[in-house]
Amino acid sequence: MLTFNATSAAQLAAHAEATYPDECVGLLLGRLEADHKTVLAIYQAENRWAGQVTLAANDDPTSRRDRFYLDPRDYLRADRAARAQDLEVVGVYHSHPDYPAIPSERDRVGAQAIGGPSFAFVIQSVRAGRAAELAAWLLVDEGARFEQEEMTVWP
Amino acid sequence: MAVTITIPTALRQYAAGKATVVLEADNVGALLRGLVEQHPTLGKHLFGEDGRLRSFVNVYVGDEDIRYLAGEATPLQAGETVSIIPAIAGGTR
Repeated sequence: MLTFNATSAAQLAAHAEATYPDECVGLLLGRLEADHKTVLAIYQAENRWAGQVTLAANDDPTSRRDRFYLDPRDYLRADRAARAQDLEVVGVYHSHPDYPAIPSERDRVGAQAIGGPSFAFVIQSVRAGRAAELAAWLLVDEGARFEQEEMTVWP
Repeated sequence: MAVTITIPTALRQYAAGKATVVLEADNVGALLRGLVEQHPTLGKHLFGEDGRLRSFVNVYVGDEDIRYLAGEATPLQAGETVSIIPAIAGGTR
């Protein structure tokens, strides 16, 4: 179960619209109680995709329209920002420009089996520049597949 | 000497839910081996079949990536914080 505060959901949508037609990426900061994640803030990172890792045979190191890379240094900064607010990194988000909010095979490969019930993968779909649906996923079965997670946004 | 190692949220399920672990180690390699000894299932998430750190797994001593220091031979000072940080990538097509 993932709960968003409305401000974080709105900021995430705005980030995804701002980088359109490129994919955006960032981290979700919040609280973790058992496997219930509450997102209270987002950390907007830079999409630094430059072909650092192999996701598919057709990787184009210049295309941030259909690839994202979250640099570990940005993750480290987000982790410190979270701890400073007594929060934790409870997930990652990225956008799907003109593509549904469903994880792709590249997303599964790029997650490298690092996931599980305490770490959400949130996808913001953007269509023609406007934020569309938002969905949350968990990486399960030792990284073999994503499973949709129940998600709510409270006002 | 006692060093603190931080475990990212996504890997804590393999470390008995712990956010940090304090271990005695003189260098990064010994620290990671000590961590895996305590939490064996973390091992395959940190190391590949060749026994080397997986390419998506990054280890920082303070602000520095050990790949730009002395790798697993990087010495540690007492009170230092070592962070395990994943890289995450993806794409639609």
